[in-house]
Amino acid sequence: MSGHRLLAVTFPRVLAAEWSKLTSVSSTLWIALGTVVSTLSLAFALGLFVRAGDAVSGASVAVSGSLFAQLGMLVLGVLVGAGEFSTGTSTVTFAAVPRRLPVLAAQTLVTVAVALPTAVVCLVGSALVTTAARSAAGLTLDPADAGTVRILAGYVLYLTGVALFGVGLGALVRRPTGALLAGVVLFVVLDQLLATNPGRITDVLRAALPAAGTRLFADEGALPTHLGAGGGGLVLGAWVVAALAAAAYRLRRFDVT
Amino acid sequence: MIEAQALTKRYGPTTAVDGLSFTALPGTVTGFLGPNGAGKSTTMRLVLGLERPTSGTVTIGGRRYADLDAPLRTVGAMLDARSVHPGRTAFRHLLALARTHGIPRSRVDEVIGMTGLESVAGRRVKGFSLGMSQRLGIAAALLGDPGTLMLDEPVNGLDPDGVLWVRKLVRDLAAEGRTVFLSSHLMHELALCADRVVIIGRGRLLADASMPEILHQSERAGLVRVRTSDPALLVPALLQLGGDVVAQQDDVLHVRHVSLEDVGVAAGRAGATVLELAAEAGSLEEAYLRLTADSVQYQAGGAR
Amino acid sequence: MTTLTVTGPSLPRVIAAEWTKLLGLRSSTIVVVVTAAVSGLVTYLSANASSGDPGFDPLDSLTTGLPVAVIGPLVLGVLVGTGEFSTGMFRSTFAAVPRRLPVLVAQVVVTTALALLAAVLAVAAAVVGILPPASSRGITPDLLSEGTPQSLLGAGGFLVGAALFGLAAGALLRRTLPALLATIVVTLVLPVVLLLASELASDPLAASASNTVPTRTAVVNTIITFTPTGAGSLLTEPSSSGVDGAPNIGALGAALVLAAWVFVPLGAAALRLRRRDLV
Repeated sequence: MSGHRLLAVTFPRVLAAEWSKLTSVSSTLWIALGTVVSTLSLAFALGLFVRAGDAVSGASVAVSGSLFAQLGMLVLGVLVGAGEFSTGTSTVTFAAVPRRLPVLAAQTLVTVAVALPTAVVCLVGSALVTTAARSAAGLTLDPADAGTVRILAGYVLYLTGVALFGVGLGALVRRPTGALLAGVVLFVVLDQLLATNPGRITDVLRAALPAAGTRLFADEGALPTHLGAGGGGLVLGAWVVAALAAAAYRLRRFDVT
Repeated sequence: MIEAQALTKRYGPTTAVDGLSFTALPGTVTGFLGPNGAGKSTTMRLVLGLERPTSGTVTIGGRRYADLDAPLRTVGAMLDARSVHPGRTAFRHLLALARTHGIPRSRVDEVIGMTGLESVAGRRVKGFSLGMSQRLGIAAALLGDPGTLMLDEPVNGLDPDGVLWVRKLVRDLAAEGRTVFLSSHLMHELALCADRVVIIGRGRLLADASMPEILHQSERAGLVRVRTSDPALLVPALLQLGGDVVAQQDDVLHVRHVSLEDVGVAAGRAGATVLELAAEAGSLEEAYLRLTADSVQYQAGGAR
Repeated sequence: MTTLTVTGPSLPRVIAAEWTKLLGLRSSTIVVVVTAAVSGLVTYLSANASSGDPGFDPLDSLTTGLPVAVIGPLVLGVLVGTGEFSTGMFRSTFAAVPRRLPVLVAQVVVTTALALLAAVLAVAAAVVGILPPASSRGITPDLLSEGTPQSLLGAGGFLVGAALFGLAAGALLRRTLPALLATIVVTLVLPVVLLLASELASDPLAASASNTVPTRTAVVNTIITFTPTGAGSLLTEPSSSGVDGAPNIGALGAALVLAAWVFVPLGAAALRLRRRDLV
């Protein structure tokens, strides 16, 4: 080997390594594929129930597969974040990058690189499979309409955010099943529980849950007055930052075993 | 060079490593021994900065592991051969690791060749036998062409060819001036390849010495074994020479404090027929068992 | 070894072995405690939130903790079902019991036993949970009132059923994450999806106009009835005559639906265990 002096751990190199890792396990492809298929199926199925005169927009029909899409994103993120620890790869990884935090940062970026295109494919695919349903109900999907753009972009943003939250949760909990369970409770179960008991307190609590991020792609008319689309996005953003920060703290301060 | 200074690691009330100091020198193969649960793996994780010492320090060439710019270039380690994502191929595993340091792809191919993994490099690690995983772990350790190698049970699960290969590899690496630090429970193997031995028990240092010094600790060191058909003639002669004689089964005598040659000469003079005469070499296994007798944590069929 | 008499495995012995394994895991205790705690807490919060309503009946809140409490038994079942395979333990287990099926039967037995314990504690915790809000309104809940015993029984049955469903899915899929994901989708996400669908299907204008149920609503409600969660809510609400447009299968029918969700995947798991290699 020549040029030993050139060898050093740099962030671009860690990023390249994490990208190589993510793309070298087939589960990544299967999760992305499963997410798209289940999302499209759900959007198509829910599209069957849309009729003319319903108080929904064309855009919200196109994003109606979100319940499955978010689960796929959560699994993707959780596996990236917890995978090192559950497979025992962590000792090798963190022996190569003893400063540790670059690994988490790189995992965050490579997750975005997979989640964002997957979310876009979900969106475009859902829009296509709901075309018939929308035209039957007389609903349009106008890319020039600001509200429509907000919903479509919000959907992609939300799904990417969920994946990042998954990374943070996975890296914090270090066990994929535990992290997935926590994610489902936070995103689906608690929100539904609170939704069935409407009231002033429960509304405030719902707005503080990461599921508030779904407001990013909610219809204008369905948005609660106290916390709108932007606010919901910020709440999700805060959860993402908090989860990643907690994971970083654990990684930096405690042993890797 | 690995230097541990009063290294201590506690997990709550349990002390895994207790004031451990030792040095693994360049150009030397240092064997690291101890009973199960003695703290060997913990010590190795402390060296790699995966765990933080409760107190004390451990450095590689004078620097803390976490401060190294290119850790893989300095230390190559194999802690657990199963530390690989089962869904990843061996080549991809090594490539990802290489990428963290900008190590070229050609070097990945090189270590795959060195460890004899060419035929399975494209297969997912899930289907690997323990021996193949072991080779992959050693390949990962060699990746950065490091000056220090740290291997936890490198021959575990290897076939006889593999064991021979590891023995030659570590000898060659040490001959090139590198520091080799390896743990093993295979005493015969270690006796063949290690220059120095560090033995720990319950997290404490029991011995840090050269192989001859350790062998000297063996009960059999300096023992002469003689089988004779005339013990009645030979025993008085040996006692006269100042020897300690213990009669064993089948006319065998264990003699101490008399050299092999003197036992032969004495037998000739006494007219005793010698059927067998041998100097017992000290064994590492015996020395180890003696040194660790008090610190074995999990004893087989022990006192109930 | 001289005094040790060794005979072959029998079902009671396999059950005893599985019971030892289950209780040896910390997660078993955690699941039981957390399930009961969550059930009590959520029921209390829910009853407390509605205690200000004019027509407040604390007994209405009795099963509000169920959608969250069900996660515990579900996870317990999945962990038992996949545990052998995810840990590599199956090599020694099936070496000891080469006929294999007794192990699955034993797992069903011990999971039922532990889930039953969790269910009893969870239902008891729910009862305790409604007491403070009830007393704040001066109401003494009558647990023997019309339908309440059956509702409590149904809640317990639903929790045990969820554990067995998790076990069946786990034994069939053999990998923890996919099994957990599958059971979560079926029990937790599917109801939300169907709720969404029924909201879309309901037609506020048509509903008031006639007594007939629109076809779309009937379809969604029929699907809901045959999901584990839908069947579970029928079990806990014996007085209800089913949902609009769906066949009224009653509590017994609901129990059968739940049983089908358990026994179909369990049968598939048994077939896989019996016919296919263990890898």
